[in-house]
Amino acid sequence: MIKTSASWLSKIKPWLPGSTIAAPVAVLLVVLVLFSVFVPKFFSFRSISGIINAATLTGALAIGIGFLMVAGEFDLSVGSNLAISGYIYGTLTAAGQPFLGLLLALVVPSILGAVNGIILVWTGIPSFIVTLGTKYFYRGMLWVITTGSMLQTVDTLPIDKIFTGRLDVFNNLVSDANFRNSALWLILLAFLFQIILSKTKFGNHVFAVGSNPGAALGQGVRVARVKIISFAISGFMAGVAGILLFSQFHTVRVSSGDGMDLYAIAAAVVGGVLITGGAGNIWGALVGALIISTLRTGVVLLDIPFIPADNFEAIVGVTIVGAAILNMYISKRK
Amino acid sequence: MIDTKAEQGRNSLVWMENITKKFGTICALKDVSFGVEKGEVRALLGDNGAGKSTLIKVLMGIHQPTEGQIYFEGYPVNIHSPKEAREIGIEAVYQDLALVNLMSITRNFFLGREIVRNIGPFRFMDLRKMATICRTSLHDIGIEIRSANERVGSLSGGERQSIAIGRGVYFGAKVLILDEPTSALSVAETRKVLSYIENARDRQLATIFITHNVHHVYMVADSYTIIRQGHNVGTYRKGELSEEDIADLITGDRES
Repeated sequence: MIKTSASWLSKIKPWLPGSTIAAPVAVLLVVLVLFSVFVPKFFSFRSISGIINAATLTGALAIGIGFLMVAGEFDLSVGSNLAISGYIYGTLTAAGQPFLGLLLALVVPSILGAVNGIILVWTGIPSFIVTLGTKYFYRGMLWVITTGSMLQTVDTLPIDKIFTGRLDVFNNLVSDANFRNSALWLILLAFLFQIILSKTKFGNHVFAVGSNPGAALGQGVRVARVKIISFAISGFMAGVAGILLFSQFHTVRVSSGDGMDLYAIAAAVVGGVLITGGAGNIWGALVGALIISTLRTGVVLLDIPFIPADNFEAIVGVTIVGAAILNMYISKRK
Repeated sequence: MIDTKAEQGRNSLVWMENITKKFGTICALKDVSFGVEKGEVRALLGDNGAGKSTLIKVLMGIHQPTEGQIYFEGYPVNIHSPKEAREIGIEAVYQDLALVNLMSITRNFFLGREIVRNIGPFRFMDLRKMATICRTSLHDIGIEIRSANERVGSLSGGERQSIAIGRGVYFGAKVLILDEPTSALSVAETRKVLSYIENARDRQLATIFITHNVHHVYMVADSYTIIRQGHNVGTYRKGELSEEDIADLITGDRES
């Protein structure tokens, strides 16, 4: 019998149940080192902060999607929820109600997320189909309500600074850096949801439901409830993403966030979250978003002749499949 | 053959009386009575689709009987969910549905019954305490594990069964329901699992051993109930019938 050793590994192990956090971190480091070697001026605070800022929205969605994927489901409607949140927050802050806007921009997407879960639980239709439907339905309703017009404000509100203002405490230390508060919010939220996932009774049930719902049900876990709450969390994080979007750019369109749902799922997969559920780590999902963002920035800076800089999709595709193979290999070895 | 209604009945630990279960127009169980006593290992035998699983799902609260009544410790009970079944002491150990492979032994052991401390809105698990209790309580009933943090998926089939059985015993189950516990096991592992079942019997637990293969249960069962096409064919004491006789009753090659 192996005695629990007091080594650092066993100390952090309970935080990473079934996780493959080491692999995505290693991949991120390798990618960073490779680009630093091959791309001049890549390794600067300017590009690092740029990579982080570009990963913010996907990262926020990936936290929620990652949580939901551990519960064995996924959500294609987060991009639509992001836009909905952006409009709610934008409209109400412009009307001088920032706190009401904040509240509703979090509550409405959470409810819409929970609706996905309720449909899934009631009908037994797979989450791919349910959220494919609501993805279009939610965005369609947004179009109807907003009549398709873009929302833009010019005034900067103090509350925006709290979410996406420049992190000058840090920026002043190093030259050319452009870190933003949003990174701190994401770290805080990732910490919160990882604690819930790995340390609480609810989190234990999320893992069980994602890996073997039959066994979870047999042990008295309320599977339907766990799924609906996980969908609500995914919606909540889409709400956070919408708030971050509007407070940074002061602009939201009906098409905002379209396609970001798939990037978020990609980030979670690259970050070691098992697409079949039951294993994963919120930090991993966040690191996955950083890996994709690093690749995008690196490829743009590589300036490959004859290939337009924004054609980095091929590399993202290779990364997703590569990461999935790596994760499978690691989980089999365990 | 035992006349089940006279021999057992409502004073048994578990007594399912005249259970009928219909799914639409299909009658999965017709007037089946079945029970188990304290300290008894009862085999529930039947071919695939005979109604064994349906009967047990009724007992577990997964299905509600169309007609009939369940008695537990002499009192009529209505069981609406596996959770309620477990609360009164009925613990099911399913082949693939007992444990979550991607989770550790400790997390599985306490799944749904986690030891928690409330901090604010969160119910934090006391993972250290859970691991200690898990290891010592498994040890107490003769099950040794390498580490309580090991993933269940890396254990052998027999080890998994033993952990599910140990969990039931620790949480004070009065009835263990084992669904094909030995069908995928090696000879050595089967022997081990059977020894845990005997251990449970010594502790006065009632065990329902579900299988379609009489060979798996012949050694350990005290009595056999055979179900065919949703009907109770009969209940027999150990030694009344040979393995071949029972197999013939299961397939319907012989009438009772």
